[in-house]
Amino acid sequence: MARSVWKGPFVDGYLLKKAEASRGSGRNEVIKTWSRRSTILPQFVGLTFGVHNGQKFLPVLVTENMIGHKFGEFAPTRTFTGHSADRKARRE
Amino acid sequence: MPASATSQRLVLMGAVLGAHGIKGEVKVKSFAAKPAAIAEYGPLTDPKRKRTFELSIVGTADAAKGILIARMAGITDRNAAEALKGVELFVDRGRLPAPEDPEEYYLADLIGLSAFDGKGEKLGEIVSVDNYGAGDLLLVVPESGEGFVVPFTKAFVPVVDIKGGRVVLDLPADFFEVPEHEEEEAAELQEAAP
Repeated sequence: MARSVWKGPFVDGYLLKKAEASRGSGRNEVIKTWSRRSTILPQFVGLTFGVHNGQKFLPVLVTENMIGHKFGEFAPTRTFTGHSADRKARRE
Repeated sequence: MPASATSQRLVLMGAVLGAHGIKGEVKVKSFAAKPAAIAEYGPLTDPKRKRTFELSIVGTADAAKGILIARMAGITDRNAAEALKGVELFVDRGRLPAPEDPEEYYLADLIGLSAFDGKGEKLGEIVSVDNYGAGDLLLVVPESGEGFVVPFTKAFVPVVDIKGGRVVLDLPADFFEVPEHEEEEAAELQEAAP
């Protein structure tokens, strides 16, 4: 069953605090968190979070189209690295 | 990595899974971003460059898994096709077209580059480039110890020198620090709440 709308999106309070502090500092930093369950909010756009996948913190650069998803969706706990072949990476 | 070495390198594009039908067609697993592109970069070779294979795609066996049905020049019956089972298909790196966007790089070029910090100290080697939906990530593994993941952005990777075989990373001072576990912070917040 989907979460009731009246409750609003769930975000761990400590993550909000960390995000506010990071935005205030204006430094190039990674906000490390274990809170995979937190929803990505509009005020997180542009920040880089390090989301723990059970082994290490995977960097998640938040963009607008990630709003409403959970952090855990971008840090898989089981990974398969395929062959590179002709694939390209883009430096943002 | 000198430029000549880059162009002479082989890039794995696919592998022959087995024969298909009785006319010498083969099933090929393509690792290319667009599976059919495996045939677009000219003749493919085996890892030792002893044989070349001219591939023409005739169909799709499993689109989701990138398995194609292909015909190879000189392979006309099932026995010859079965003999190719397991052969890995490579293309010369030099045959891949240059990326249109200057900020785009082939994963094959990035993997193997050495990573240095701003002071010129070697941090490790790039062993893989992954994307889990939040941008490309470089996995850097030092000579000893665990690897770490860096977002492939201008802020974190200001210099990419493919010809020089190196990237320069600009990591924040606390990048390798593991923070205190948040459960304690959560408990503090709960205590502070009315």
